[in-house]
Amino acid sequence: MPPTTVTVAPGLSSFLKSLKNTPVDSSIEHFIALLKRRQIRNSRPCAIATTQLLLRVVAEFKFRDVDKLLRRVREVGQRLIAAQPREMVVGNIVRRVLGLIREVAEDDAEVDTNAISDIGNSPVPLQSEFPRPTLASSMSTFSPLRYGSTSMDSSLHQSESMSDQGELPHRPPLLTSHTSYSVPNAPMVTSLFGLFSHPDSPSASSTPTGYNSPNGKGTLTAQNLERLSESTSSKANIKAEVQEGIKELMDELEQSDDLIAANALDHIHSNEIILTHSASTSVQKFLLAAAKKRKFTVVHAEAHPNDHHATHAMTLTGTKRDYDDDSDAEDRWKPLTAAGITVVMIPDSHVFAIMSRVNKVILATHTVLANGGLVAAAGARVIAKAAKVHQTPVVVVSGVYKLSPVYPFDIEELIEYGDAGNVVPYEDGDFVDKVDVDNPLYDYVPADLVDLYITNLGGHAPSYLYRIVADHYRVEDINL
Amino acid sequence: RRRQSLSIASTKEPKGEVKQYAKQAFGLFGHLSGVPRNHSLVGVSKEVHPAVLALGLQYSSYVICGSTARCVSMLLAFKSVIESYTTPSGTALARNLVSHVLSPNIEFLKSCRAISISQGNAIRWLKDLIVKIDPSVSESEAKSHLLNSIDNFILQRITAADELISLNASQKIQAGDVILTYASSSIVQTTLIKAHKAGTPFRVVVVDSKPLYEGKRLAKTLAKHGLQVSYGLISSASHAIKDATKVFLGASAMLSNGRLYSRVGTAIIAMLADERNIPVIVLCESVKFTERVALDSIVGNEVAPSEELLSEAERDVLVPLKPLNRDPSSDIAADKSDARTWWM
Repeated sequence: MPPTTVTVAPGLSSFLKSLKNTPVDSSIEHFIALLKRRQIRNSRPCAIATTQLLLRVVAEFKFRDVDKLLRRVREVGQRLIAAQPREMVVGNIVRRVLGLIREVAEDDAEVDTNAISDIGNSPVPLQSEFPRPTLASSMSTFSPLRYGSTSMDSSLHQSESMSDQGELPHRPPLLTSHTSYSVPNAPMVTSLFGLFSHPDSPSASSTPTGYNSPNGKGTLTAQNLERLSESTSSKANIKAEVQEGIKELMDELEQSDDLIAANALDHIHSNEIILTHSASTSVQKFLLAAAKKRKFTVVHAEAHPNDHHATHAMTLTGTKRDYDDDSDAEDRWKPLTAAGITVVMIPDSHVFAIMSRVNKVILATHTVLANGGLVAAAGARVIAKAAKVHQTPVVVVSGVYKLSPVYPFDIEELIEYGDAGNVVPYEDGDFVDKVDVDNPLYDYVPADLVDLYITNLGGHAPSYLYRIVADHYRVEDINL
Repeated sequence: RRRQSLSIASTKEPKGEVKQYAKQAFGLFGHLSGVPRNHSLVGVSKEVHPAVLALGLQYSSYVICGSTARCVSMLLAFKSVIESYTTPSGTALARNLVSHVLSPNIEFLKSCRAISISQGNAIRWLKDLIVKIDPSVSESEAKSHLLNSIDNFILQRITAADELISLNASQKIQAGDVILTYASSSIVQTTLIKAHKAGTPFRVVVVDSKPLYEGKRLAKTLAKHGLQVSYGLISSASHAIKDATKVFLGASAMLSNGRLYSRVGTAIIAMLADERNIPVIVLCESVKFTERVALDSIVGNEVAPSEELLSEAERDVLVPLKPLNRDPSSDIAADKSDARTWWM
């Protein structure tokens, strides 16, 4: 435990401060403890803490092997996710970082292969006539090549077979993904043999015909040696590039609200009545951006009994009271009322009654799922349904970092239940004793109740989200 | 006497709103902000009977809250008004009682809390009864006639009606049912207890809402009778409805276009039930039927002071905002205002 936590109540800011001068492993333990104790909660703080932690993990990683780095990040990620499975943002960030590492490694590999194939093409005329086939990563274990070339360079294959054995238990998704469809040009990092695939190869067969000639063998070893000498220099950059990428991810987290808010004027016209729910910085910024130009009315459902203090604080001061972050110092928060907006606070029970006057519903979210559904503060489902019944458009405002590649097969397991004491105080012992009190913190809102998502990439239909998922996450990483 | 409302269209809610600090009336419910609520006995007309005074305070502090309870208690208070009434010389009871005695009492009750539909119906019936009294009948006879009629009205229109409704409704509850109910309705409570005593094994889910938490009392009473009860607030309604097999609702009024007028939030429950094709059963005495029609919850509704939405601590938090609005240089049209409702 870092000394800062003795004086300060542990939370996001104290954790970020302690990161710099604590060894990574104890930082990981610290973060896991904070997640379990719910001292870091909600999407944004979790996302920031996870990115910062992974940045440190990558920075302190000592080996040069990409596989080992991937394995290390995944192992850390699994522990973080196990600590608090319902903070899905943690998993999202881990997957983003894993995807980043893969991307960097592949770019690197591509540069290498191109360099090698250029060298390889000139002495061997064969390769222009016979297109070089793509090798599936698992082929290296079975191909005749392996036995053919052991005589040439046994040390290489020993190390390779070791890494292959290490691979099998750890990475089933990768192997299957490459063996089930042996795609031409599929970038492969798993084994060195993958690096030999020619990027322009038209053939999709995984039979290594071209290599069976004695010439093929000769080039192989030449290339192997070439590759070995190359690898030492190139892998030093990978780490730096990955760190660079994680810093970009940090920037994305910081800027996402402003990017979302940039869309505000396209969606809010003057004299509208807008219904929103629970306290959310994204929604607050979105409405403030529109308030600069237009006058409208905001009806704010307070999300009693879990978020109402934060909601009240949001309407009074413009920021959640318990939300401590450095950005607080940078831009002074203003309540919407200060921007000349009429804000009406209503209890959750009034939602249906008031809906006939509402032009637009803007919802904040906890997590967005790949099928276009979302998990938001309890009460959101009722609001979305009431809006549907009244034909009122529902707009969900969310950063891409909240978009999770997970499909909700079991909705119940997404829902967290909170302190029943918020609903009925424990002083009322007689009541608590006899009656079961429920306090779900979240609602699952199915995709058909949502009309539009606004993320930092712009506006999307709920049915389009799976594309954004595909752009941001690798298939290999979806099941961590 | 029992109505089934199976669609969202047949539900309607009261909704009220009062501006807190703003100078201009706020647009949404400006037409509804009526006379501020009376919480004291200062400046009350001398005609108001002590029993009615006490009753008025019970209304405004929600000690007597339900529509039926308010109706019965009002009629009983009027009985004591009539008992202590003597006709002044030179006028007839039929002329004097309504305009000079009953009206100030009714006005006082109205100032404590808006009159519910059932109360309105009862008042209309009582006035009609008084006006039709034959002037030749002696005062004591007329008074005893009135007192008996009031007793009969309560017996027939409310007590017997409740008995019948709860008997019929409790037969709708089958073994293994999960009954969801919203807030607290006396008739729903009677029905559930009756079904439980008949030996039907079933479970109750009570959904409740800020700020009155009427459902707490219902849940406690049911639990005392040995029913299995679970309790949640309106924000958890979408989870609570998943288990439910039937929804029982109380009513404040049935409007003549077939819509139900009840506590704010009832429409949410009906909507969720409709979405899942769960039958919604409304228990409503015929005293609550009215000629009025309505399409939404905004045009006609009952208004309550917005402060009631906030706890003491939250009210303190709001205090710093006051100067903001009183400052003429500020460009704020309206500040935070709170809406607050009950059932009428």
